[in-house]
Amino acid sequence: MTREEIGALLPFLANETLTGDERTRVETAVADDPALQQELQALRAIRATMQAEDSYSPAEIGLARLLRDVEKEVPQKRIHRPWVWQSIAAALLVAVVAQTLLTQRTADPGGYQLAGEDAAFVVGFSLDAREGDIRALLLDAGVMIVGGPSALGLYELAPIDGLSADSAGAILAASDLVESIDLPEED
Amino acid sequence: MDPHAQYLAQIAHGDKQALAALYRVLEKPVFRFIQSRLNDPFESSDLLHDVFMEVWRSAGRFEGRSKVQTWIFGIAYRKVIDVHRKRGRVKVTDDIPEVVDDDANTEACLAAGQEAEHVRHCVGTLKDDHRSAISLAFFEDMTYGEIAEVTGVPEGTIKTRIYHAKKLLLRCLSGLVDRGVPA
Repeated sequence: MTREEIGALLPFLANETLTGDERTRVETAVADDPALQQELQALRAIRATMQAEDSYSPAEIGLARLLRDVEKEVPQKRIHRPWVWQSIAAALLVAVVAQTLLTQRTADPGGYQLAGEDAAFVVGFSLDAREGDIRALLLDAGVMIVGGPSALGLYELAPIDGLSADSAGAILAASDLVESIDLPEED
Repeated sequence: MDPHAQYLAQIAHGDKQALAALYRVLEKPVFRFIQSRLNDPFESSDLLHDVFMEVWRSAGRFEGRSKVQTWIFGIAYRKVIDVHRKRGRVKVTDDIPEVVDDDANTEACLAAGQEAEHVRHCVGTLKDDHRSAISLAFFEDMTYGEIAEVTGVPEGTIKTRIYHAKKLLLRCLSGLVDRGVPA
């Protein structure tokens, strides 16, 4: 193995990914050469410094955006055959009829009607909030409406699958459009 | 066993929670890689989004011939090249950089290599293909074989890139110390 080949493999000894015969040969060369030992030390220091850097990343905000856009794509991507639509329409009809019957039996005029999801928040929007602004806020927060409006104009919201309720709550609470935000009432 | 393969199989069946889980595991390293090449956090965020949208759309086509992580970094690598092409900045060649023959002062490199500011500056001076190779080797601890898969070039090319990138990096660090540049 030439000195240049060893030099090319030294970074991979520094990141501990070199294996087998190559590792043995590079380690042997390093053991016999103080200059290579110093270079290896310097490379390990560079690697450690790079890995120690704490960098910004979009994290949960990026995830909310991703899931929002994935949600928009779902019908085009996963469901495209007419018979699937017919099946869904039939299933929705059954669900609506079942829910109507259930609501008639259990409805409380002052309460909320759930749409099958557990709500994480009960939110009241300011009276002058526009529908488009509310929609944008819900998308930003990564939540969807799962119930309401109640007789008091309150909506029940739940995070989109996989999103954190904490970050959604913080975004909603910080918005001028939201007049009140609360946890849902326990039964 | 690839720790992310199960997520990808679930994503291929439309499982959004698996997508969220995979995103949480890989978004930071993928973003860091993109950011190291674009140096623009807003554009990098958009590109990260595009990468995971492609993961969502293409999960069913993943053949398992590489690790999931390598496959996703490959998507990110190609998307950055597209951005560079649009900016007219792309230069997909492997010219040999001008490296003076004398070796860098490795003692000075060791000291400078511990200073984040110096390392960031010197990595930033590298050409894109050198910076990619060093980033994948030192941020993500990839093998040269994995870096070759991500970038779509032969392993020998990666060894050459790493060799020259390392030389330039050490020379830059050594130069900072020699000139007494504070960290």
